[in-house]
Amino acid sequence: MEQKMNKTTEINTPILEVDNLYVHYQSEGQKIKAVNGVSLSLGRRETIGLVGETGAGKTTTALAIMQLLPEATAHIDSGDIRYEGESLLKKSSGELRAIRGALISMIFQDPMTALNPIKTVGDQIKESLEIHNYDHKSNAELEKRVDELLELVGIKAARRGEYPHQFSGGMKQRVLIAVALACQPQVLIADEPTTALDVTIQAQVLALIENLKEQLGTSVIMITHDLGIVAQTCDKVAVMYAGEIIEDGSVEEIFNGKERHPYTIGLFNSIPKLDDESTRLSPIDGLMPDPANLPEGCPFSPRCHQCMDICRKVHPDVTYHEGTHRIKCHLFAGGEK
Amino acid sequence: MADALIKTVDLKKHFKVKGGLLHAVDGVNLEIPRGKTLGVVGESGCGKSTLGRTIIRLLEATSGSVYFDGQDVMKARGKEFEELRKQMQIIFQDPFSCLNPRMPVYKLIGEPLEIHHVYKNSVDMNKRIVQLMDTVGLARRFINSYPHEMDGGRRQRVGIARALALNPKFIVCDEPVSALDVSIQAQILNLLMDLQDDMGLTYMFITHDLLVVRHIADEIAVMYLGQCIERAPAKQLFKEPLHPYTKALLSAIPIPDLSQRKKPVMLQGEVSDPINPKPGCRFARRCNYCTEKCTQQDYPLKEVSPGHFVACELYK
Repeated sequence: MEQKMNKTTEINTPILEVDNLYVHYQSEGQKIKAVNGVSLSLGRRETIGLVGETGAGKTTTALAIMQLLPEATAHIDSGDIRYEGESLLKKSSGELRAIRGALISMIFQDPMTALNPIKTVGDQIKESLEIHNYDHKSNAELEKRVDELLELVGIKAARRGEYPHQFSGGMKQRVLIAVALACQPQVLIADEPTTALDVTIQAQVLALIENLKEQLGTSVIMITHDLGIVAQTCDKVAVMYAGEIIEDGSVEEIFNGKERHPYTIGLFNSIPKLDDESTRLSPIDGLMPDPANLPEGCPFSPRCHQCMDICRKVHPDVTYHEGTHRIKCHLFAGGEK
Repeated sequence: MADALIKTVDLKKHFKVKGGLLHAVDGVNLEIPRGKTLGVVGESGCGKSTLGRTIIRLLEATSGSVYFDGQDVMKARGKEFEELRKQMQIIFQDPFSCLNPRMPVYKLIGEPLEIHHVYKNSVDMNKRIVQLMDTVGLARRFINSYPHEMDGGRRQRVGIARALALNPKFIVCDEPVSALDVSIQAQILNLLMDLQDDMGLTYMFITHDLLVVRHIADEIAVMYLGQCIERAPAKQLFKEPLHPYTKALLSAIPIPDLSQRKKPVMLQGEVSDPINPKPGCRFARRCNYCTEKCTQQDYPLKEVSPGHFVACELYK
């Protein structure tokens, strides 16, 4: 019981905060508004699910946190990202290098392209250990740590000298996880870590992340479009649409709450249910708006079945607030639906 | 089943590779009734795509036969085969790489019509192209668009229109929605189901997404290393999976429901090597119920309850 209390208080002090972040890309004279006012707060040992379709701004948010946005095209317009209360935007590139990979690290989406094809997997894991070798461990100690990491993700240490092409997709993904975990980060950003994998391997990878959370106390940002993965692994959920978080709350509030954003309803109705006997799904009509040309008012209004006049003119703020559950939708303005 | 449109008998497709023979499809017997959907599931490398392609003879089988409406597909030659080709079509997974990037939509959809010389004059052909666009829900303004100008959902609609152009009876859908976002995925699934109702199409629906297959299929075949290890009506399979592999597969689906948070049955290791497989059950090495017997003999599918077939020592 006492331990549980401790855990709750730990969760209440956020390790990572994103505060009203705006990011745009400049491309061929167009301003592409990828992230429009995103705020997130990640507690210790907490997993937050960032859900949404292609182009919703999930990966851009993640890259902004990692400070890995392409310098030539991406611009952070305003907002702040704080790690343990300190702004990452104000850090020098040297300071960031010490944070990246050591305190905050990321599992990239595509294991096929994220690994270096001409370096052995052992060397790729060792690379991040060498960069962050602040207490001057000997080479033998680093080698030993590489072996431990490989075993941790379920790969025989004897395979450390092999190259990425000698591994299957699921194993490559696990090598990437080993790289990301090499320095025992406090925050792990997993960008669709299982999209390229089969379900049985996916279950292994998710269990592995879950174990690490228990053992190392890591906080996780789980980027996914799979509501099943969210239900099985997350504590909190943020639903993104057109660069905004249109609804967020605890996983219970999002899955079982009284109210939902029409887009979230659409997402849930788009996936077949296990116990469902109906023959047709009820998907969301149309497509995500072009981020270079966002509609006036609510970005979801052109696809929304319950769209009202005001939705086309005025951008909605948070109108529904119950517990930690927040929804940005005019339907809830004035407290009634 | 009396009215099977597609029937395979001991179908095998082996590839010569460095180090031996890769048994991609290894003795598959199945039937697909007219107007129904057979879902084929399994992990990558289990041979499900090869099976689909071998059935419509995009790949020549190593041995065994395929019957389309009673006609032996492997023996069809010349004109006869050309006619057969029109009846059997395929929708591919990646709607980007399967469309020629230098062809606009009207050419892409018209291509099968041209190859089979369906229309004498271009007016009739253009009418048919527009009609097909309407059928698959692709707005007419896209008729001159190129694939890169369209999103994944619309590209997949073009792929479907191409498959429908010659009025086929049977379509192999090879992971048609795997590359799409969930909301678009639902749109395409609905479209495929509507088309089946309207035209009486028969589908073989290949996917690794188990929630999708339960939704769309009448019957499901589970494949493991080139063999079909369990086959049952869709709802029955989910209610009462028998093969240990099917059980592990189903328990690994992350269910979008908080009341069903669970620990899945963990499988050890990965799919073993399909090159020169050893005799016996292919799943034995990863199976929690494996006994000595399992590696000594092959297990054919056996009907354990009406319509429910399984290949496993536990249900002999």
